[in-house]
Amino acid sequence: MPEGSRGLLLAGVGGQGVILASMIVADALMRAGHDVKQSEVHGMAQRGGSVFSHIRWGERVDSPLVPLGSAEVLAAFEWAEAVRWVEYVRDGGAVVADIRTIVPPGACTDRRSWLRRYPGIDGELFDSRHLKTRLIDATATATDLGNVRAANSVILGTVAAFIDIDDVHWEAAIADLVPAGTEKINLAAFRAGRQVAEARVPDAAQDPDGFSGPHEIEIRHDWCKGCDICSRVCPEYCLAVDVDGKLTIVDPEACTGCRLCEILCPDFAIDIHAPRELAVVGTNTTNESSA
Amino acid sequence: MTDVKSYLREWAMPHVLCPGCAHGIVLRSFLTAVDQLQLDQDKIAMVAGIGCSSRLAGYVDFCTLHGTHGRAPAFATGLKLARPDLNVVVVTGDGDALAIGGNHLIHAARRNIDITVLLLNNSIYGMTGGQAAPTTPEGAIASTTPAGNTEPNFDACKLLIGAGASFVARVLAANPMDMTKVMADGLNHPGFSFIEVISDCPEYFGRYNKVGGGAEMLTWMSVRDEGVSGPLSDKRFVNHIPSSAPPPGLATGVLHNELRPVFSGVRKVGRS
Amino acid sequence: MTETRLPEIPLAQAQLIQGNEACVKGALAAGCRFYGGYPITPSSEIAEHMVRLLPNIGGVFVQMEDEIASLASVVGASLGGMKSMTATSGPGFSLMQEHIGFAAMTEVPCVIVNVMRGGPSTGLPTSPSQGDVMQARWGTHGDHPIIVLAPSSVGEVFHVTVKAFNLAERFRTPVIVLYDEIIGHTRESVVLPATVDVIDREQPHDDPDDFWPMVAPPDGTPPLPAFGDGYRFHVTGLAHDERGFPTNDAQVAEALVARLHRKIEAHLDEIVEVDTYMLDDADIAIFAYGIVGRSAREAVERARDAGIKVGLIRPVTLWPFPAREVAAVASRVDTILVAEMNLGQLIGEVERAVAGNAEVLGYLKADGEPITPTTLLEEILHAEKVRQ
Repeated sequence: MPEGSRGLLLAGVGGQGVILASMIVADALMRAGHDVKQSEVHGMAQRGGSVFSHIRWGERVDSPLVPLGSAEVLAAFEWAEAVRWVEYVRDGGAVVADIRTIVPPGACTDRRSWLRRYPGIDGELFDSRHLKTRLIDATATATDLGNVRAANSVILGTVAAFIDIDDVHWEAAIADLVPAGTEKINLAAFRAGRQVAEARVPDAAQDPDGFSGPHEIEIRHDWCKGCDICSRVCPEYCLAVDVDGKLTIVDPEACTGCRLCEILCPDFAIDIHAPRELAVVGTNTTNESSA
Repeated sequence: MTDVKSYLREWAMPHVLCPGCAHGIVLRSFLTAVDQLQLDQDKIAMVAGIGCSSRLAGYVDFCTLHGTHGRAPAFATGLKLARPDLNVVVVTGDGDALAIGGNHLIHAARRNIDITVLLLNNSIYGMTGGQAAPTTPEGAIASTTPAGNTEPNFDACKLLIGAGASFVARVLAANPMDMTKVMADGLNHPGFSFIEVISDCPEYFGRYNKVGGGAEMLTWMSVRDEGVSGPLSDKRFVNHIPSSAPPPGLATGVLHNELRPVFSGVRKVGRS
Repeated sequence: MTETRLPEIPLAQAQLIQGNEACVKGALAAGCRFYGGYPITPSSEIAEHMVRLLPNIGGVFVQMEDEIASLASVVGASLGGMKSMTATSGPGFSLMQEHIGFAAMTEVPCVIVNVMRGGPSTGLPTSPSQGDVMQARWGTHGDHPIIVLAPSSVGEVFHVTVKAFNLAERFRTPVIVLYDEIIGHTRESVVLPATVDVIDREQPHDDPDDFWPMVAPPDGTPPLPAFGDGYRFHVTGLAHDERGFPTNDAQVAEALVARLHRKIEAHLDEIVEVDTYMLDDADIAIFAYGIVGRSAREAVERARDAGIKVGLIRPVTLWPFPAREVAAVASRVDTILVAEMNLGQLIGEVERAVAGNAEVLGYLKADGEPITPTTLLEEILHAEKVRQ
């Protein structure tokens, strides 16, 4: 990679506006006199899929792709995306991450552990690599300003602190590229992002709907006729009907509480009971999508 | 959400239906809809005819009338006219409602009396031992069509739309979430609502036609689904069940929905 | 439970009305609030009067798609707590058999009026007949009792219809009112009462959670709450236990069928009604019912004028058959002449009740023409000749 070129990554989830944000970054860098290349991947761009954009700039840039461990800044629009892409950041580089979480459908495949699979928010996660970590709540800031959809400009404002170009270029790029009529609010959001306070990571709390372990399967053997529908529909293979037609629980630990067996039992013979101990999870792990 | 079993006469369980018969799934979906709508248990009357599906009426803790073959819509008409405060639900089968009771069904639809009819279509006469029904597909084996059915079958929903039913839907027993939602809509609908549930008969239809048992029949019906307006279609649960070749598709979802005057008896005239 | 009530539609004291109209007035006075029917000659006037009156007093009229549905709707409405009825004639009555049996088995009170016309099949639609007497008793499958009442005048149609409703409610049973085309269509000047005695079905006193719908003494009638009034229960035409739930238990099924019969047979004094005329010194008794009973009365008077000691026994209750009353007459007379507008239906029952204690002769006719006093008088003269 040519001397003097630097890299930046933007990552988020389909629907968040990652692509527009990366266009603004690229435009601002060009206005500041850099050679800029940008490349994006947005395979699941409808909703919920991972979307990321590489940007490189400098006197001369050949490839748009940022090599692993070389980026100056990672701008993560969603917490799991920060964790996913952080290895692209050089030691001592910066991570700007929104603490909003969007749990992707893929993380629900195993309904028992999706909360464990989704990474807990931890501002000290990257300390060992001496990364400058800024955790912000851009949605809250944008909402305070009057338009939740300006959240991305808040993130860009924070990112701008780690990129050495003049604010006039940023503001010109924003004014040029955001949807007509939203220039004012986005510029306000950008300026707010430059001074935004570190977001407070909420304490872990009990989630009444959470899962902490296997559900209990109760079978009414006097009602069960051994038809086998339950064992055939169980995604976790918890149930089996033996040669005598008796329904047995072969893997009690595997039940995720999806209730397919209960709902599809024609004989009302199965009851699924949630674990008695409630799961302890962060209140921030909701499915709310940010703007 | 209440445990739907609280709507059952638990002392009467287990029910008489065969292993793998989806009618019980349909019943559960219906009870879930009742629970979601928070209907008054004392104000629900289930009226049934004769056949496997009609036996369901015996197991629900409502006022229940297990009538005569095909006549449930007529019993229900009298009951609803006498007691407009009741939610009157007819549970019937394809032979019950479309063969012997076809006349009663279409006239109840024509009047637009405010009842809900759940027609559990298993494509065969189950209780009498697997004879061909008006819904048995052409070519299908039944005990009275050993070389394959040579009669065309009814499309119950088209029939009912033609007869004037103001709410007509078709759902699959394999899609219980769909079923619950459509049943709730049907219960809420002012006027005659007709819901055909594609159910199964593993014991006769499945065995004679080599479709398989309950699980295979649920797959078989779901691959026939050509949902037109059904809101949900979660078929993931059957993915690992081997399925036979897909038979012709069926339109599912709410197929017809209109509001028109509800029948409540003949109007007043001056005293004679 | 009997209560004297003022009918909601006041009964004009003296009026000229048709038999079918008297039936409607009787039904409404007895508390009937639901009519489900299907048009058929010669009963249609009942429906046509019902539809004009019922909606004004909180009742419901519905014209159903056939007679099967008509009686089904009547049973449904009755379970909803409304006193209910239908009316028909022979062909429709054949279709109603299914639900007469159902109402008997499930013990749902209802009244079925059959205005008889000539049969078999569609037969003679506008002509009278008494051809449905046995169908009324045995038309449906299986063993169950039935109450059948046969009025012989317009005024009696009123009283019999009130009684039909009262018996239906009292014993939770279908009750059939059987008259013929002549009575249905004849207009007579009648005097109706200002009040009528009305019976309502017994209500349970149990806690709804402990309620078993079919609990009754071996000769008793269980209470019947209406659907929707807080008692949740099952009604089925299958053999059922005291909970109302289907059973194949032979003992339970036997007990049920036995009770269905005993609840009627143990209360014959409330049900059986027999009218007699000039029997005290009679050598010959005419047995006639319905419209023939009226001809018979005239024939008796003419025969008396001719010096023949003849009297009349006219059952108003055809079923349960008044065997005791017929046997009592048989012990006092030489001959019983049975006159009916069919080819021999109740005559067999008379022979059975008489048990050889008198000679039984029949004047049987099924040509659509009424039995007149004149022809009946000839039969009396013939019977007198045979007797001597």
